[in-house]
Amino acid sequence: MMRWRNNQYKTQKQHKSDYSTAEKQDQDVLTGNIGYDLEHVKRKIGHNGDVHFRELEITQLHVKAALIFVEGLSDQDLINKGLSVLVMNQPNQVSDEISQSGKGILTSKQIKNQIVSIGDVIDSEKISDIVLNVFMGSTALLIDGIPQAFLLGTVKKQNRSIEEPLSEALVRGPRTGFTEELSTNTALLRQQGKNDQLTLQRFEVGTRLKKDLIIAYMNDIADPKVVEEVRKRVRGIEIDHLPESGYVEQLIEDNYLSPFPQVQSTERPDRVISGLMEGRVAILLDGTPFALIVPVTFSMMLQSPEDYYERWFPSSLIRLLRFIAAMITLFAPALYISFISFHPGLIPTKLAISISGTRQGVPFPSLIEALFMEVAIEILREAGLRLPKPIGPAIGIVGGLIIGEAAVQAGIVSPIMVIVVALTAISSFAIPHYSTGIALRMLRFGAMFCAAVFGLFGVIMYYLLLSSHVVKLKSFGVPYASPAVPYHLKDWKDFVIRMPLLVMKRRPKMMNTDNTKRVK
Amino acid sequence: MFSPTSKITTAQATIIIINYMLAAGVLTLPRTVTEQTQSPDGWISVLLGGVLAVIAGMIIAKLSQQYPKETFYEYSRHIVGKWLGHLISIVFITYFLALGAFEVRVMSEIVDFFLLEGTPSWAIIMTVLWIGLYSITQGLDPIARLFEMIFPITVIIFLTIALMSLGIFEINNLRPVLGDGIMPVLRGVKTTNLSFTCSEIMFILVAFMKKPKNAVKAVVIGTGVVTSFYMITMIMVIGALSVEGVVTRTWPGLDLMRSFEIPGLIFERFESFLLVIWIMQLFATFIITFYAASLGVSQVFKKKPLSCMFGLLPVIYILSCMPKNENDVFILGDTVSHIALYIFGALPILLLVISKWRKRGEK
Repeated sequence: MMRWRNNQYKTQKQHKSDYSTAEKQDQDVLTGNIGYDLEHVKRKIGHNGDVHFRELEITQLHVKAALIFVEGLSDQDLINKGLSVLVMNQPNQVSDEISQSGKGILTSKQIKNQIVSIGDVIDSEKISDIVLNVFMGSTALLIDGIPQAFLLGTVKKQNRSIEEPLSEALVRGPRTGFTEELSTNTALLRQQGKNDQLTLQRFEVGTRLKKDLIIAYMNDIADPKVVEEVRKRVRGIEIDHLPESGYVEQLIEDNYLSPFPQVQSTERPDRVISGLMEGRVAILLDGTPFALIVPVTFSMMLQSPEDYYERWFPSSLIRLLRFIAAMITLFAPALYISFISFHPGLIPTKLAISISGTRQGVPFPSLIEALFMEVAIEILREAGLRLPKPIGPAIGIVGGLIIGEAAVQAGIVSPIMVIVVALTAISSFAIPHYSTGIALRMLRFGAMFCAAVFGLFGVIMYYLLLSSHVVKLKSFGVPYASPAVPYHLKDWKDFVIRMPLLVMKRRPKMMNTDNTKRVK
Repeated sequence: MFSPTSKITTAQATIIIINYMLAAGVLTLPRTVTEQTQSPDGWISVLLGGVLAVIAGMIIAKLSQQYPKETFYEYSRHIVGKWLGHLISIVFITYFLALGAFEVRVMSEIVDFFLLEGTPSWAIIMTVLWIGLYSITQGLDPIARLFEMIFPITVIIFLTIALMSLGIFEINNLRPVLGDGIMPVLRGVKTTNLSFTCSEIMFILVAFMKKPKNAVKAVVIGTGVVTSFYMITMIMVIGALSVEGVVTRTWPGLDLMRSFEIPGLIFERFESFLLVIWIMQLFATFIITFYAASLGVSQVFKKKPLSCMFGLLPVIYILSCMPKNENDVFILGDTVSHIALYIFGALPILLLVISKWRKRGEK
């Protein structure tokens, strides 16, 4: 068998007598007999009509060859260009050399280096390997007499151009967003700035449909423990297919029972890079524009990249606004229910009177009233999201205006309830991170039930329950509630308030970064 | 058994002490102290009580520092031997259980009185117990972080409402200072001590500290903060309601909030805010006693911590249901505090002397 491993093969059929092809019939190895090998490969490929077999002859050497590729997956132009040497009639240097050295011997090295002018060539003798690569877009070149196939990297990338990310709109900030193509995304990251510390480590995930996954981090900033933890968890992924990075997120998160998202997803390269510069680790998966950033904290979910692009004063106020919005999202309907149903004495008398005046004729207790409106608005939101773009806004008008107005007119809900519900819904949309908004909206229902059962006491208890959950939660070793707790007073410069850039001299302490200086 | 794996910082230890001490006192202290002093000088009693509490806490901290990385339940046997040590530990556990039950019961009483009339107290107690159980399952570190979350809310709301009540504050109600001499003040000190006998948490806390050396610092700062809280309460309440007004009210702290309205704000009355922080503080005190008790059981009887927590849940429930009415509750509280005063006033000094003597003997 060692002879097959040699670099040199005879181009003619002499060897046929040496080894009978029958012996290798059921083996997964090429024989060198092109007719037989083609048969074998065809059998392996089966009923796949999109696979093309192109037989040709290398004129100078009078050797039969064959190309196998998948239509549309492989770049036809590239194949033509790269192989023109093979089939061109005019004599060239290679064939000259071969003719001169006599005996018409063609080595695989020569094929690689001189005949095929495509950058990426791998040789393989296993048929299953060939078939797999052909299905991924490579072109297999078989040459009679050589028991090896040359897999030419002719993959045609099916991708769209770089567009502005839809899910994270900014007024000010770069307009580039990730695409579905991993190499484009990594290139976008590299283009963010000249740096030799940006490390992109490649992994293969998915047991059946394999995909590339890249872990990106700053070598001299990220905490090696965090990076190692991410590597460990990514290696631990065992699932047959990962269609989107949401799969990765759910498979590597710390606590899948928690209502809070523990991984941040983003379409923005600038956001990923800022994360890396804070010592975080990004995970990019082939086939999705959503990159993941870990570890995250809850306060990160209420931040937008724009906070840093705008001047610090408006940014700080906007951040404050978001925290208030988050609190409203969680507790506004619950507080309404508890004050109306249990403690009207705790709100100002005039307000209490006016509220009970509007509630006159409303047949339901306030919980039912609130649930009715909250569920209605959630349905509206969901409907508006899934519908084709031109219809979406129409739903908003129909639902929001007409149903709200009609419900009040019909006396099913009180107008103040509509105000509370609308305020809650709008507040939840003010949260920049989509899945955090959903999480808070979901938790809001729990708060409402607690309020309906125990009033203000229930709301307090619910807050304590949520707090005890959040303080226990960790994202890749970083407490989820930081920098709020445990107190990292230095990190509070970038918490509710975003201090001026020159004041934030150090990277976040909670990330335990290797290199701490941000501003000299 | 739990070994102290998750460590807490000095700041966290301080906050645990503060949250542990701040409890029922905020609402009742003005009454109980003024009943004893019958003069507006209650705040001096509070100050003196705070000083005594610092001293007691320092002694306990010093004692615990002798045995780093060990809680009282573990090191007591080094001092007084295995059986006596276990006995004292069980007394401690009982004390923590009783205190926890008391806090829960007070919470249910006040919730029943101010927020949810007619709600069965078992429903309230059960809610508190289960949420408390959930919050302590992962040890002291998450508890400390939870307290860090509660603490700023407490401070902000407390100071805000204290400032707002300045409107009805009459400095004359506080005069004359020491008009009746020093004796009434000293009578009040005994009562304030009941609110302050919470330094015993240092028996456990020091073992979990990253820097046990700072234990004394934590005690001083923590007690100092609590003392100033109580003093502000005393001064504001007596200043607003006068001595006579304070004595006749069960919850003078809350009545202070009820006695003024600030028109123009969304909320004209602020007792709901006080109730919010107060429920949180009671909850905080409860979970730390619950944790201390289950830690004790698990370390003395060598059982898994989680099963101890679950096991103690019904015990606390039964204990908290024992008092028949509000008066019984206060009697329970007084009894617990009196016992604590004797145990934690005398015992630490004794233990400290013995342990020093033993260590000298070993050398």
